[in-house]
Amino acid sequence: MAKSLLLVSRQAPWSGPGAREALDIALAGGAFDLPIGMLFLDDGVFQLAPTQYPEAIQQKDLTANLQALPLFGVDSLYVAQRSLDERGLADTTLDLPVQCLDDAALRDLIDRYDLVITL
Amino acid sequence: MATLHLLSHSPFGDSRFASCLALLGRNDALLLTGDAVHALRAGSTPWESVQQLPEGIAVFALDEDLAARGIAPSGRVQPVNYPGFVELCCRYEKVNSWL
Amino acid sequence: MKFAIALFSAPHAPSSRRALRFAEAALASGHEIVRLFFYQDAVHNASNAAVPPQDELNLPAEWGVFVRHHRLDAVVCIAAALRRGVLNEEEARRYGRPSANLGEPWDLSGLGQLHEAAQMADRLVCFGGP
Repeated sequence: MAKSLLLVSRQAPWSGPGAREALDIALAGGAFDLPIGMLFLDDGVFQLAPTQYPEAIQQKDLTANLQALPLFGVDSLYVAQRSLDERGLADTTLDLPVQCLDDAALRDLIDRYDLVITL
Repeated sequence: MATLHLLSHSPFGDSRFASCLALLGRNDALLLTGDAVHALRAGSTPWESVQQLPEGIAVFALDEDLAARGIAPSGRVQPVNYPGFVELCCRYEKVNSWL
Repeated sequence: MKFAIALFSAPHAPSSRRALRFAEAALASGHEIVRLFFYQDAVHNASNAAVPPQDELNLPAEWGVFVRHHRLDAVVCIAAALRRGVLNEEEARRYGRPSANLGEPWDLSGLGQLHEAAQMADRLVCFGGP
């Protein structure tokens, strides 16, 4: 059986190619039918904030790539409650259907996966 | 699955260190490399956090990074060399590097 | 044990050196490295164009010697490499660039190679950051 991989994305969307390149790992894994989960943690939650206009700084929108996750079979999507709280995003409707987890649930989540990449 | 968490960023720079500590499982371990060993400076805030980790969590630090920064390991911190680093990766079921 | 080693940082980052020393120690301890995968800024570790000062480490050169000596499977992510100007002859020709800076022992390929390595190995160990 294929090993499961949890990708933990910690980078804000417009601080360089980091967030996009983390997402590409998840999409590639999905394309190979691997069991992939994705967790948005720390500044990574900014990727999910609505109504952003990256065109203003000549950046490509990440939204289409994020929306592609379920299409690539990556539908185990999580976000850290604490990271949302800290960043004033707790009551915001996020751009992606993600499951909100507290620290205890996140510990269990990391424990469950065979592999973890934190970017 | 017990995880070896690998840190190399300074604990003073961003939220990595705090997030990692908050997400350590009961049988996980911490391996500090690079600037992350600054967390072991006695009396510093991160050092206090390391001291307060549950007993089941082992704390390791790469010896060359301690030496380079003139930090003497104390208390629960176990220095490892590269063969020791490799052995830790075998001992724990997975490695989570906080890149 | 079988290791897959993924590197994410540029040659001047201490983590690139750490990854090399780890890889050397893994082989010295009798383990196997199923693949090295260079992603993000780590693609510069595969470039043969860097000219560091003579009294400093030349990590791209060291990686080359290490990979050749142990005949390792060493893959550089093609998308990350193109974006950062790390090209082999074929890609330089394809995109009309004046020179190539990636030769043997490196292969340009996709992220599928990272996943395949992680699946084949007993442990995936990633290096990046400072």
